[in-house]
Amino acid sequence: MANTFGNSYGLTTLCPLINGVHDKQTSFDKITRRRIQRLEEDAGSPFARIPNTYFARLFILNDVFFQQGNDVARDHLKSKYLVFTSNFHGELEPYLKGMWDNAEADVRSLWQYAVAFDKVQNADDFIAYIKKCQLTTTLFFNGSTDVSLKEQLKALYVKQVFSEFTLAHQGQDAAALRTAFNNFMAEIKLADLDQPSWAPGQTRLQNMY
Amino acid sequence: MNRPLDLYDIQGNICKGYGRFGFPKARYFFLEFHDYAGGRNFLQQLIPLITTAEPWSEKKHPDQSDKPAATTNIAFTYHGLCALGLPRRSLDGFPQEFKMGMKPRAAILGDNGPSSPQHWDPVWQGDTVHAWVSINGQTQEAVEQRFSQIEDLIQSVQGSVSIRPGHKGPNGSLLPYQDASAVFENGKATPKEHFGFVDGIGNPYFEGCGHDPERLPGRGKLNRDGKWEPLATGEFILGHVDEAKEYPLAPEPHLLARNGTFMVYRKLHENVKTFNDYVDNMAKDFNGSRELLMAKFSGRWPDNGAPLVLAPDDKAKAELDQKMAELQKKAAEGDACAIGQLKALEEQWIDFTYNDDKHGAKCPIGAHIRRTNTRGSLETEKGAFDRPGALVDRRRLMRRGLPYGGHDELTNDSSEQGIIFMCLGASLERQFEFVQQQWVNYSNDFHLGNDRDVLIGANNGKLTDKAILQVNPKDGKAPFFCTHLPRMVETRGGDYFFIPSITALDMIAQGIIDPT
Repeated sequence: MANTFGNSYGLTTLCPLINGVHDKQTSFDKITRRRIQRLEEDAGSPFARIPNTYFARLFILNDVFFQQGNDVARDHLKSKYLVFTSNFHGELEPYLKGMWDNAEADVRSLWQYAVAFDKVQNADDFIAYIKKCQLTTTLFFNGSTDVSLKEQLKALYVKQVFSEFTLAHQGQDAAALRTAFNNFMAEIKLADLDQPSWAPGQTRLQNMY
Repeated sequence: MNRPLDLYDIQGNICKGYGRFGFPKARYFFLEFHDYAGGRNFLQQLIPLITTAEPWSEKKHPDQSDKPAATTNIAFTYHGLCALGLPRRSLDGFPQEFKMGMKPRAAILGDNGPSSPQHWDPVWQGDTVHAWVSINGQTQEAVEQRFSQIEDLIQSVQGSVSIRPGHKGPNGSLLPYQDASAVFENGKATPKEHFGFVDGIGNPYFEGCGHDPERLPGRGKLNRDGKWEPLATGEFILGHVDEAKEYPLAPEPHLLARNGTFMVYRKLHENVKTFNDYVDNMAKDFNGSRELLMAKFSGRWPDNGAPLVLAPDDKAKAELDQKMAELQKKAAEGDACAIGQLKALEEQWIDFTYNDDKHGAKCPIGAHIRRTNTRGSLETEKGAFDRPGALVDRRRLMRRGLPYGGHDELTNDSSEQGIIFMCLGASLERQFEFVQQQWVNYSNDFHLGNDRDVLIGANNGKLTDKAILQVNPKDGKAPFFCTHLPRMVETRGGDYFFIPSITALDMIAQGIIDPT
């Protein structure tokens, strides 16, 4: 089904940017790009604060490419577009509400020069705006299951610590191994998705680099 | 059908591992050129000493009369070719990794921590290594004699060429050259390195290399019928078609590159004490002999290089040894049948695949020889590729080189011993660098996560620096984990070199390289 795959959602939006320049100096798309490029990454990214984001990306679409060697008909875009894609767990509207509620300042800054965004005053307006700019696609980030982000992060954490447990307890007798495993299970709190676990935005083993 | 190559135009070290031809001693030294004219003058005088790939008889059939007492070969760094005044357009045509040299590629090669370039021998500091010269000798005297002959040539050009000093030698000394030698046992040269493994068994066989076609099985490329064919010449020599049916990337003019190739030179220090301590410690918990554990790391039994797929455990190894001994005894008595059987058995040292060992129960999937020459084992399912070894045929390494040090002093981590690793191929990036980055220091292709090669990987002694010794899943036994892998081997220097043909060398010496 378009846009969804199991419990995951693949959102693709193209928001037109205002043509023109700010203070007779810098075009609006350039300001927007600069803001995208200055966003923090990994755990510091605003998307790490937005619940259930698997993978999100922002970029500026300058124009369409034409097929080289075929100069008969060249199409151009009427404006530049802010492209926002996000793969996340769950339904679209709650996700966008979560985005507004947890990263309103970033959203306002990034979309400031999008056409008609000055009319967006609250979460409902934002949801309506994004839905208007949405493309129906089947574009998904390959590398995620469709369960909640917390479950995925916990699974990554358990995989990491369980392999460490295995390495550290090789060859122990059954009784010692049972005791150690019981302690291990108590420590990792399998049912607690909040902690201990990987943090949203974490993309690699923390002790690796 | 082998394409005839002009073996007299190709430098000898490309086609021949000199050790196999009865040259157990070597000296490597590095030149700096101070002016074009003098440098070229020196080269013109050196050319008559350069050893070509002309066919020789092999060590097994000794005929020393057709061989010189010592060989000489030369290769250049990018900075060296600049210093000899090659035209800018020719220089620009070399591949990027060659132009950069080895030090800036440290992140790709895993040369970090104790292997970082700032810890390399003084000779490698700066960018003034311009040329590599190698002398291989049937005796040490022959090496010394050839060395002094070349020193005289250097003298004759009056300061235009100098030997770069600064190779760490025994007991903290600094030498103007790097000596290397086969490890001798009871006065006889052996094919072993300082950890105790027989080394240098699986070198590739390519079209036109001039080797005995009997050496093809196990060394060429596997075809769909399980037969071996020679690898394309262009995998190892520039100016010839490679496995992708293309000419390798090479500089202009054509004559500069044709019949030449690229070479990796690395001084690889072996932490012998760390290695021995680690094996001793792990062997306490390992279900098998210390030798089997060592074999699990390399994929071959240390004493005679027999592959684990041929003798997967201590019992099978004992049986193999007994069978070998019996055949050798009968063969020595002239039993023609035993001679044939012995030859067939010895061929299995190299002519094998991992087809019957998918799970790594015999030879671990991460064992050194299975990582660096995957044979057909990366084919996901039968028939997935054009050839079972399609992924490895473009990443084969022609290894040259010898052990160094370790003779006169106590062998521990701080004493000087290791391997001068040299590896030849048409693409440094696609062959050596890929194998080093993806197969030695990473394991995605083997489904082994971040595991690294036990012997030469950039391990750091952490719990998760591990190797898995697999078992057959149906046996119901647990695999064995080797954790806390330390850094067994450290890089102590090296660079990327271009080995020109005799024709190109002559043109460089005359200053007539012209890319237009």
